[in-house]
Amino acid sequence: MRRAGDLFEREEYFIPELLICSDAMYAGLRVLQPHLPSGSAERKKGIVVIGVVEGDTHDIGKNLVKIMLETAGFEVVDLGRDVPPAIFVERAEFAGAHIIGLSTLMTTTMGAMSEVIRLLDEKRARSRIRVMVGGGPVSQQFANRIGADGYAANASGAVAVATRLRQAPAESRVP
Amino acid sequence: VTPIERFAALAAGRPLDRLPCVPIVGNTAARVLGVRTAEIRRSGELLARAHTAAYRRFGYDVVRVFTDLYVQAEAMGAKVRVPEDETAYLQKPAIANAHEVDRLLPADPGKDGCLPAHREAVARVVDDLGDEAVVTAAVTGPFTNASFLVGAETLARLALREPAVVRHLCEISLETALRWADAILDAGASPSITDPMLSSTVVSPRQFREFGLPYLERLVTHIRGRGKAVTLHICGKTRPVWALMADTGADCLSIDNEASLTEAKAAVGKRVCLMGNVPPVAVLFESDPAGVRQAVRTCVREGGDNPRGLVVASGCSLPTETPFANIDAMVRAVDEIGWPLRVTEASA
Repeated sequence: MRRAGDLFEREEYFIPELLICSDAMYAGLRVLQPHLPSGSAERKKGIVVIGVVEGDTHDIGKNLVKIMLETAGFEVVDLGRDVPPAIFVERAEFAGAHIIGLSTLMTTTMGAMSEVIRLLDEKRARSRIRVMVGGGPVSQQFANRIGADGYAANASGAVAVATRLRQAPAESRVP
Repeated sequence: VTPIERFAALAAGRPLDRLPCVPIVGNTAARVLGVRTAEIRRSGELLARAHTAAYRRFGYDVVRVFTDLYVQAEAMGAKVRVPEDETAYLQKPAIANAHEVDRLLPADPGKDGCLPAHREAVARVVDDLGDEAVVTAAVTGPFTNASFLVGAETLARLALREPAVVRHLCEISLETALRWADAILDAGASPSITDPMLSSTVVSPRQFREFGLPYLERLVTHIRGRGKAVTLHICGKTRPVWALMADTGADCLSIDNEASLTEAKAAVGKRVCLMGNVPPVAVLFESDPAGVRQAVRTCVREGGDNPRGLVVASGCSLPTETPFANIDAMVRAVDEIGWPLRVTEASA
């Protein structure tokens, strides 16, 4: 699957090929999972709660990020699409997540991304739960402006960002 | 000089007063009229009044009657959520899986979904502005429409697993597109095609050739056969498929800011007019008039000498809340560049 991700980045594979490869990976995992020691270190790089923010249902990008994160050893809780900001926070706390991943393809929903961050601030949970954002209209600039901890332009970039967020301690934040 | 005269001069290679300028205004038109976005989606009269008001307010060159890409799929049974005052989005595809394809029928623009209202809007705008502005209405391309019928991810898998089903979905979507295009043409406007799922951000050039080209070619040929030039817009990355986009027979390719006008000009500039690609979000939505002016000048520096001409446009439809001042700045920047094009800073 990592190889498929590389080929995707080199524009030899596209979304259909990546999805088919991930189908094969998950089919294999279903066979192997019962024989793996539970909670093996490999699956514990961190817990990510991920979803498409409220007001949008474009979820292929989010699904690709989920696939690549799971491939890299993260545990992913997928909230699906059209997810209200409060649900992200609630589910992240419930799952003991380290990272919330927010995706959108529509500019109308970008406000909901900063709302998630505001809610985390309110609960003083920003150092426990980091936020990464991505999707068509989102940029590093936008991520900085709303105070997100990370931005990635594509699915493999998202793995790098999540890995970095898990390694680096939360920086002290100037409001 | 009216927009129609400006486009005629551009097409004939004659001198113009300035390049055509098209900030692709969609739901922002509701803001100009002071109504909610859901109201213009369902009322032909309000949709027409909003776009007419936006054209008069900003003075751009193409009126594009457009609210969202889902109107054809909705008319074929897809469920669309329409928030009172935000852009509509797909709630549920028309069918749950490939086995249900036989349930689908092409839409009837005379009665299905909001197509009759949008057809009325097109006719009203043509009545009001048809002798000066280029009036177009959006037609969602067959492959993208197919993705709304069965779901984008399902369609992507089917492209490899059951290509015959994808072809069937494209065929029935093409039939809807042809009927909708005819309704637009009958009302006196030009259909303009958008097919974002064919972007190289999503599918491969091979898949474009298989599921895009044959259907787009028939759609473009039909529209051109009725005497209208065709613009084909695809968002995201498109460099690998520019030649194929030109092979559809389209007169003008509209590209996103993720694609380079300089490269497109070198690749297909002798075959097609180019349209683009001022960043709709990072510049027109989020920046200020000075930033817009810079971006327009960059755009014209890159594509202004395209052999078949350049239409200065946003890379994609503008976000609803795009500041009016930025849209004004875009038109003003194109005006300032004038003709012959003056884009070196020394003369600014």
